[in-house]
Amino acid sequence: MRVASIDVRLERRLAVWRGTALLVTSGSLLLALVVGGIFLKLTGHPPLDVYRELAKTAYFNWYGFTDTLGASTPLVLTGLAAAVGFKMNLYNIGAEGQLFLGGIASAWAGIAIVPGMPGPLAVLTVMFAGALGGAAWAFIPALTRAYFNTSEIVTTLMFNFIGLYLMQYLIQGSYSYWRDPKIVGFPQGKEIVDAARLPHWNFPADSMFGIAFPPGRTQVHLGLAFGVIAALGLWVLIERTRFGYGVRVTGDSPAAARYAGISIRGSIIVVMLISGALAGLAGAGIVAGQGYKLDPGGLAVALGYTGIVVAALARSNPFAVVVVAVLLGGLRTGADNMQSAPDNLKIPVAIAGMLEGAVLICALGGELFRTHRISVRRVPSNSDREEHLSGAVGVGVSP
Amino acid sequence: MSPGDLASALPMLRIRGVTKSFPGVVANDSVDLDIRRGEVHTLLGENGAGKSTLAAMLAGLYRPDSGTMVLDGKPVNFANPREAQSRGIGMVHQHFRLVERFTVAENIALGDTSQPWKLDTRALESDVQRIGEEFGLPVRPDARISDLSVGERQRVEIVKTLYRGAEVLLLDEPTAVLTPQEVDALFVTVRAMRESGKAVVFISHKLVEVMAISDVVTVLRAGKVTGTVQTRDTNQAELARLMVGREVELSSLRAMGVRGSALLSVSCVGLVASKRHVLRDISFDVHGGEIVGIAGVSGNGQRELAETIAGIRAPSTGSISVASQSVGGKGPRKTRAAGLSFVPEDRLGTGLAPSMSIAENLLLTRPRSLFISKRKVQAEAAQIIADYDVKAPGPDAVTSLLSGGNSQKVLLARELAASGDGATSNHVLVVASPTRGLDIGATESIRKRLDDLRQRGGAVLLISEDLEEVLALSDRVLVIYDGAMVYECDGASADRTTIGLAMAGAIATENSGHV
Ligand SMILES: Nc1ncnc2c1ncn2[C@@H]1O[C@H](COP(=O)(O)OP(=O)(O)OP(=O)(O)O)[C@@H](O)[C@H]1O
Ligand SMILES: [Mg+2]
Repeated sequence: MRVASIDVRLERRLAVWRGTALLVTSGSLLLALVVGGIFLKLTGHPPLDVYRELAKTAYFNWYGFTDTLGASTPLVLTGLAAAVGFKMNLYNIGAEGQLFLGGIASAWAGIAIVPGMPGPLAVLTVMFAGALGGAAWAFIPALTRAYFNTSEIVTTLMFNFIGLYLMQYLIQGSYSYWRDPKIVGFPQGKEIVDAARLPHWNFPADSMFGIAFPPGRTQVHLGLAFGVIAALGLWVLIERTRFGYGVRVTGDSPAAARYAGISIRGSIIVVMLISGALAGLAGAGIVAGQGYKLDPGGLAVALGYTGIVVAALARSNPFAVVVVAVLLGGLRTGADNMQSAPDNLKIPVAIAGMLEGAVLICALGGELFRTHRISVRRVPSNSDREEHLSGAVGVGVSP
Repeated sequence: MSPGDLASALPMLRIRGVTKSFPGVVANDSVDLDIRRGEVHTLLGENGAGKSTLAAMLAGLYRPDSGTMVLDGKPVNFANPREAQSRGIGMVHQHFRLVERFTVAENIALGDTSQPWKLDTRALESDVQRIGEEFGLPVRPDARISDLSVGERQRVEIVKTLYRGAEVLLLDEPTAVLTPQEVDALFVTVRAMRESGKAVVFISHKLVEVMAISDVVTVLRAGKVTGTVQTRDTNQAELARLMVGREVELSSLRAMGVRGSALLSVSCVGLVASKRHVLRDISFDVHGGEIVGIAGVSGNGQRELAETIAGIRAPSTGSISVASQSVGGKGPRKTRAAGLSFVPEDRLGTGLAPSMSIAENLLLTRPRSLFISKRKVQAEAAQIIADYDVKAPGPDAVTSLLSGGNSQKVLLARELAASGDGATSNHVLVVASPTRGLDIGATESIRKRLDDLRQRGGAVLLISEDLEEVLALSDRVLVIYDGAMVYECDGASADRTTIGLAMAGAIATENSGHV
């Protein structure tokens, strides 16, 4: 594109400065809001007021913010599940199904094996069962990928559907061990024992840090701590351990891994198992922290797929996953909470999903600007040509 | 003066004050360069001097930060390689950019926007044929790239640029991957281009070639032009001096100490890969205090042999031992632990993880503890940068952004470090084309280090297509042909003609007959 004698074009950045990544990500988020705003305007909602209300109910209100943290907890874990795979170019699309299996396994543990156990042990057992369930669901795709090079994208995706129908069958389609036989009418899951339930954080007093809080129970439960610890653990594992080094080498160049004697198969299997375990933990957190039973409706809300969005936006950095999960969790909470807002601000819940999509698309578009820069340069126009021929040096300026 | 003389006297491409910086380095520092029609112009310089960067700017891959480039009187400012190509500047990279599954003709048409939407294969093939005949580039338009040798692929790349109307051809280290016969063929083409009034920019570290083919040589040092000389007025020694700033003489180095016990024993090794016998019944020993060279035309099993010895492949038959420990098929880590290190032919991507830093790459072949410590390797990386004169901003520099020669130095340094720094060593080093792409100063220093390992009692297996190098360093020379060892002789008294014949398969010993 030429504008007068100014030449504007895209040029590949040679080194990506860390700040650029942050700037581009924020820019993409802003653009997504603009796109969403246009949509809101078209459907007859005042965008600015909607956003203000959304922000208020999701982030700038203590109940809203704690709701957001609660909603973000599974996203942190599914985000990490996707991120760990990205580190070695493995695309585990199956966090969704692994989360269901985590839910099934933890509900079973909560009903069958923990009664009688002391509280902390019961909680740990239930969460462990969830991780195990998720990992088990990732195991077959891991094996086929490692030994037959079958695309894990396809296998894990298919396992999502098997997991979904299995979960629905257990509650709605049969009188299984998970279903509560006492409830007639709408089928529901059996509740897990009290000791296995994740404690919620409650405002201890009506004032903290000098700020007045309404006392009471919040949606923040111990699952969030599992998420944050998992993020920390994952970072240490990938950046600071021998195993993580192998994963990074394999992701960078399989030939170099072979040369170094790093087991590519082993890395694939272990990374897939870790990914599945994290997604399974997310399911366990929902069972043991929110519903206290296996509830297909509460689990099948695309948390696994949203985790992929979270990991992509966070560029698979575990700490960024936590931040992005909270941002996206807020969208969900905000849209939910606004159902009680005045009529003109009452937006469809689906708007949260739409904004999520807009954020992803803008972020992927923004990726171009992270790796390329716009360069503006003065071009010697035709009248300058003589000057060049006579050997004078024209100097272009690049910003 | 006739009009023709005038045209050739005026430079076709005129570069003034071109500067290009990367984070931490000025790769080109106000470079002036004139390239004339009918001229072969060599860019010469140490590793990291900025030759590839300059060529890449001419080809539209990078844009200069400042300065001007004037082509046939018009200032140019290329946004991408396609734009440069359309103005008649074509480049052949060291790593070819061809689609393996496509035919030669399809590759030539690929990305060419002037092609009609429906490919006229017949016309295309006859054009390719014609260009091939004119410039001495025999290629079969309907051959698949995957069936071609390295030299043939390079020919396809050249035909591709000529087909798109290249008037200036940039060749970045084209001879590094060629056999001597292929180099001769390439030079025939280059001369034909010169005759037809095109310009060729040639990059090479081999001074013999530079003297043989070029008309003008421009020497770069640390991004600056330090001199332009006419080839007929200069000689190799002067070029070396201009380039490194001191006299360099590559002399032969031979064992001086006593030959020790066999540190590497390969016995009756055979390898079957994709149902083909790639190695046949190979047996030899490398003793402490000696360098054994393996000569051969590329593709005769050298790569597989090296990988088998290094434990990356398991031999189908036979056994391998390092310092009397049997290692065949036990994997790279056990093999290394037994005292063997390996410098593969492919550096970036196999020997080095490209998007990792120099420091992190040092960990690739070290025994790693459960938790890795970056601090220790950081210091070691800084030491290597200083000792081997690696042009890099620091230990955290990503290896894929280093110049070709500098990444090779990092790889060699890492593997040589495994031999320890004591007065004696019983380490085995298997090294493929150690000095390919290194400048003459670095070549000398790497050869000295290989020799040093030998004098300390280590064993070196040197695998190279560069016969000069094999002969200059080896105490014994083995020739590999079609997966079998067909000839063996003493390094000092080796006869080039016989070795050449053996490399071409004209001498076959008993053990190559079967299978
Ligand atoms: N894309 C890049 N990003 C950062 N630094 C770069 C990049 N490309 C080149 N450099 C640096 O610029 C300098 C010149 O590199 P260049 O590849 O032009 O050297 P060269 O003369 O071709 O060397 P060699 O003979 O080793 O190929 C080197 O220090 C190199 O590390
Ligand atoms: Mg180069």
